Amino acid sequence: MSEGQSDDSIAAYEERIEALEAKLRALEENVAASAEQAGHGFDWKMWGERYGLLIAWGVMILILGSVKPDQMFAWNSYATMLGSNAMVVVLTLALMIPLTSGDFDLSVASVMGLSSMLLAVLNVKMGMPIGGAVVIVLLVGAVVGLINAFFILYFGVHSLIVTLGTGYFINGLILWVSDSATIAGVSMGLVNAVILTRLFGIPIGFYYALALTLIIWYVFQHTSLGRRLLFVGRGREVARLSGVNVDRVRAGALMASGTIAAFAGVLYTGMRGAADPSSALAFLLPAFAAAFLGSTAIYPGKFNALGAFVAVFFLSTGIMGLNFLGVDSFVQNLFYGGGLVIAVSISQLIRGRRPMD
Amino acid sequence: MKKLFLPALGAALMFAPAAHADMDAAKALIEKHSKLPTFEAPGPAFDAKACMADKKMFVIPLTNANPFNAAISQGFVDAAAMVGFELRDWETQMDPAGWIQGINTAVAEGFDLIDMQGGLPPEFLVPQITEARSNGVKVTATHNYDATTQQIPEFLDSAANTDYVTVGKIIAAWAMVQTDGKVNALVLGPDEITPTAPLRDAILNYLKDNCPDCKTQYINVPVNDWATKTQPAVQNALLADPTINYVLPVYDSMSQFIVPAIQIANSDAKIVSYNGTPFVLDMMRDGDIVEMNVGESLGWVGMAGTDANMRLLCGLDPVTVLNTPAFIFTDENVATAGNPATFNDGYGDVHKAGFAKLWGLE
Repeated sequence: MSEGQSDDSIAAYEERIEALEAKLRALEENVAASAEQAGHGFDWKMWGERYGLLIAWGVMILILGSVKPDQMFAWNSYATMLGSNAMVVVLTLALMIPLTSGDFDLSVASVMGLSSMLLAVLNVKMGMPIGGAVVIVLLVGAVVGLINAFFILYFGVHSLIVTLGTGYFINGLILWVSDSATIAGVSMGLVNAVILTRLFGIPIGFYYALALTLIIWYVFQHTSLGRRLLFVGRGREVARLSGVNVDRVRAGALMASGTIAAFAGVLYTGMRGAADPSSALAFLLPAFAAAFLGSTAIYPGKFNALGAFVAVFFLSTGIMGLNFLGVDSFVQNLFYGGGLVIAVSISQLIRGRRPMD
Repeated sequence: MKKLFLPALGAALMFAPAAHADMDAAKALIEKHSKLPTFEAPGPAFDAKACMADKKMFVIPLTNANPFNAAISQGFVDAAAMVGFELRDWETQMDPAGWIQGINTAVAEGFDLIDMQGGLPPEFLVPQITEARSNGVKVTATHNYDATTQQIPEFLDSAANTDYVTVGKIIAAWAMVQTDGKVNALVLGPDEITPTAPLRDAILNYLKDNCPDCKTQYINVPVNDWATKTQPAVQNALLADPTINYVLPVYDSMSQFIVPAIQIANSDAKIVSYNGTPFVLDMMRDGDIVEMNVGESLGWVGMAGTDANMRLLCGLDPVTVLNTPAFIFTDENVATAGNPATFNDGYGDVHKAGFAKLWGLE
């Protein structure tokens, strides 16, 4: 009897989701139609908003290239830059998933550090084969996400508070398991699998980040799971009343975030052949910056994988150009911080200063 | 006459010897610091047990969550155990609040001396230091200031300093000898750290003064930005100038971010640096990018710091320079540092017997 009831409730649930998606499609079609009407066939404003960051990226390359053409127009420069930012892209993607479902995960950089260090401890100190060690650290990342979800959902504590606390807790764990020391000598198999193997001159780590970006883009744009994540992020109560299992979606997002952040840690260790107890934490703010900057591009107004991907490399290209120009270190901070605020502000102007989600 | 003079001058200039790098001096410096350290007493012998009988010492490291500081602290602890006086190693995690609490605790519990070791900047704590000194507590710093180019501030009673200039010269001399006077070096360091200036300037000035065909460029990377800025800065510098043959970070912990930059940029540049940090020695043993490292026994640093502090408390002539020698590790001797390497292996332990004799314990 209960099975029958549960079948009924699942059917009703799917029906409600379908109805909601149909409404959303209709709404999007209406918006697109009115935009088309207003723009007489082509909405320059919307186009500019979607591709503004890409255009800015190209313009920046041209400007910097006019000063340093030998370096800025060399494929090797971009191959190097693309290969060395793989873990930042992956960390940004990790952050973006709970941001979409309405939760902040401040523990992602700590999870990246934990996975980086745990991998070194398992492989170097305990002699475990690198493949098994990678599987274990990814599972540990998922477990951290589950713990975050438990405190956020069961106790109803805000995600900022929980993940701030778990982040600190994890930092302590890292110091404990590493004995506060940097560990070198991680298997060359991992280093080969992250930076020493190249395709078109680009270290292979980049392609992992690209593949993950495309997977997340597909899930967000073309599956009902992606839609549910967005519903939950836009309005939990509405999503709940529409039959979405909000807690399950949020918990899944946090677990995905933990697992992907752990993967960023694997790439970070593979990049250096070593792991240290604290440096991964420095990537939290760049990841947030890229996630927010990315939300102004490709699919403006929502966190999206392609936008985040473009944002990471937009910012890295700027830093690369500034390095070539030989400017002082502080100018990079001015560019990073200033670039983020200005780019997001311009995007807001184009969007008619609508409040950001 | 003029007709004769000009061709003669031209010929003279043509056959004049080109400016040469001072290779002999560089080789001599390297040879001196490649030998196993010997113990040179920092001052006259004294009866440490008698003069420290009623005294106790309080050590505040920059942070305990750093094996470098932990190893120095262990040297202090070992020295106190040898002599037989009370020493407290305060637990901190690079937080000013923890340092201040340490000073207050030392004053409240009647310690005679507070030592801020391993890079803790005393300048951050002047009000607390002044208050401690007004309560009769001596305040010193170990392994923070340079022995020749930096002054001990007036708000400290004394300091046991390191000869960073010699370390910088060794690094520069090594690169010069290896390239036969054709160094193209990228030097990196965090300018906000006290020892960076003497190390940086010693490297840059040594090559400028002794090596006319050597090129250098310097990039400042603050410690907080090491993880995010070192790698792009190095790989972009290598792309901009592929003839760079040495990367010289003033502290070897930066190497973990430089090795991938060199690999990604497909460069043959080598890393030469300072500190003898174990994981960097491991990188030297296991790979080809880290070529040389100047280290010093940190247990020895702790004991030398204790020696200087005891002399201050006992009213003896002050000692302001640590007698810990700089020692060169390369592929040839890195195995002596242990596997995995440590902060104390590879230097011999001549200092233990040396200090024991100096303090009248034998």
